[in-house]
Amino acid sequence: MSKLHQELKEMIIEVLDLEDVDVEEIIDDEPLFVEGLGLDSIDALEIGLALQKRYGIKLKSDSEDTPKHFSSINALVALVESHSTN
Amino acid sequence: MSDLTLISQWLTQQPEQIISFENDKQRSTKDFLKRVLQWKKRLEHQSGNRWAVYHDDAFEFLSMTFALWQLGRTACVPGDNRPGTIERLTTHVAGFIGKFPSPAITLEQNDNHPSELVEWINLESSFHALEIYTSGSTGEPKPISKTIRQIEEELETLEILWPSKASSVVITTVSHQHLYGITFRLLWPLSAGRAFQEKLCEYPEDILQQAKYHSSFSLVSSPSHLARLNASLDWDAIAKNCDYVVSSAAPLKRQDSLAAAKLLQAPVREIYGSSETGAIAWRIQQEHNVETLWQALPKVELSETEEGALKVETPYLESNEPYILADQVVFGAEKKFKLMGRKDRIVKVEGKRVSLAAIEIKLSEASAAIKEVRVITLERQRIETAVIIELTEVGRQELEQSGRKTLIAKLKVELAKHFEAVVLPRRWRFVDAMPFNPQGKLPLESLMNLFKKEAVIWPQVKKKKVEEESLSMECFIPAELLYFDGHFEDRAILPGIVQVHWAEAYGRQFLDVTGHFIRLEVIKFQQIIPPNSIVTINLEYVPATMKLVFEYVSEKGVHSNGRICFG
Repeated sequence: MSKLHQELKEMIIEVLDLEDVDVEEIIDDEPLFVEGLGLDSIDALEIGLALQKRYGIKLKSDSEDTPKHFSSINALVALVESHSTN
Repeated sequence: MSDLTLISQWLTQQPEQIISFENDKQRSTKDFLKRVLQWKKRLEHQSGNRWAVYHDDAFEFLSMTFALWQLGRTACVPGDNRPGTIERLTTHVAGFIGKFPSPAITLEQNDNHPSELVEWINLESSFHALEIYTSGSTGEPKPISKTIRQIEEELETLEILWPSKASSVVITTVSHQHLYGITFRLLWPLSAGRAFQEKLCEYPEDILQQAKYHSSFSLVSSPSHLARLNASLDWDAIAKNCDYVVSSAAPLKRQDSLAAAKLLQAPVREIYGSSETGAIAWRIQQEHNVETLWQALPKVELSETEEGALKVETPYLESNEPYILADQVVFGAEKKFKLMGRKDRIVKVEGKRVSLAAIEIKLSEASAAIKEVRVITLERQRIETAVIIELTEVGRQELEQSGRKTLIAKLKVELAKHFEAVVLPRRWRFVDAMPFNPQGKLPLESLMNLFKKEAVIWPQVKKKKVEEESLSMECFIPAELLYFDGHFEDRAILPGIVQVHWAEAYGRQFLDVTGHFIRLEVIKFQQIIPPNSIVTINLEYVPATMKLVFEYVSEKGVHSNGRICFG
């Protein structure tokens, strides 16, 4: 697990105020929504806000892409990495 | 009379207008008539008077609904298309139309234009056009029927208060699968000659995206979204084109209302109502004011019953009798009022109405593990539901064998069949006995207290020194630490495995430790660590061998040390 993986998992647990979830339990390539971690639409909004606050990421105003970026921890890591190299 | 085209006469009058947009692609009255006709042809040989409709595309939903109405059939509109909802509706409707996971009537997009001459009919005012579902106090969803008269009267009332501007396109973050959405997002715009965007906005960025196509727009939304607008987005780019914002589904916090008004440079009209009554009151928060009170919409009479509940009289109720809501109110000057919460156990969780009793019933039905269950709401970072369970003997065994997380996951899967994700419980407590007081009551306060204390699973870090491959951290070990529970009954000691776990976790966090845990080497636990100790954790990582050397020391000397090998 890279530092960024760890960091994003901690961020999710913290900003979503999750109980009963440890960093180790969030699997990098498992879906965050519905199955897997079971997050919902409000959580998605919160993650969007947190990404902006911590990494300065603005989601592209293109609704096609957003679900893809939020699909798993790996996808979030890729999003943050591509943003920092831009 | 207003300038609205009556819903009952819309198809015979066929006003020339843009019906909807998919981003910048527009659909005209002609497109709409064609699609309604295609649906009508598709449905006319099906028998049965009541049909469930679900679709995420608002244009498609409206076409299906209008086709059903032309055939004299009622559109039954569930809030979602989950298995539990479908199962419940199955005995209630003739069939399903649109996007359902089970067999449903669908219709491909095509260019076929049925050639025969169409005779559209006007709808009777007493025709039961819609059936929607809401959480009843018994826990079972309650069907609510709406006639054409009710729908048209409500639209007219809204139009009196806020006359429509035809060029203002409706953008939305709320689904049309409930009354607020159908009214504000579809029927009012259609009736007023205004276009709507077909897809709802899931993220604030989507609002920006859709709004940029229009020189004039309004936003139909809810507190869930308006409280989470991202202030750093370029709202200035669209704010000049925003005419107004509507919020309903739950009261919007004053600060959220003011913040949204500022970002979009537009009034935030809050609507209060219910599925039973439709929209009945409104308010717009003011900068200089304290909390603004609610006031009745035109043609709506509101008063307070002796018990303090809200009594409603409108031309768009089902009958001439007043309707009494479960909301408690206090009236102030000028017939304005304040909402004081509900009497029953129906709550709004992030704008979704849900019966706590229903969650309890579904949980009890789902598992033999549950002896008693209570569901409450908590206001933490969001409004959420939380569960307190007293287990049966079977349940206690299950908890012991499969563990807390597995049991919770299993119960959540059951609930997810019936409830939307947003209302699913996020916090669970298993208690030996429900905290009844000596009077035999179960005070909400004591239930809520069960959620106050978060489990403490980390030490408090006092000082920390991180170098490239080593870490030294002075920590306070609090007495309320979870791991002291039962380890041991007569004398609390920090378990050795916890020390190893912390060493590993901090190693991964600060020293770039990677790989899997393979084994421990030369582990020694020399001195115990009791509650309220101050110890220093020293870590050293050797990347070449992938070994993490740890040591817990204090002024008493070494408590433990060893090596964790990764690979």
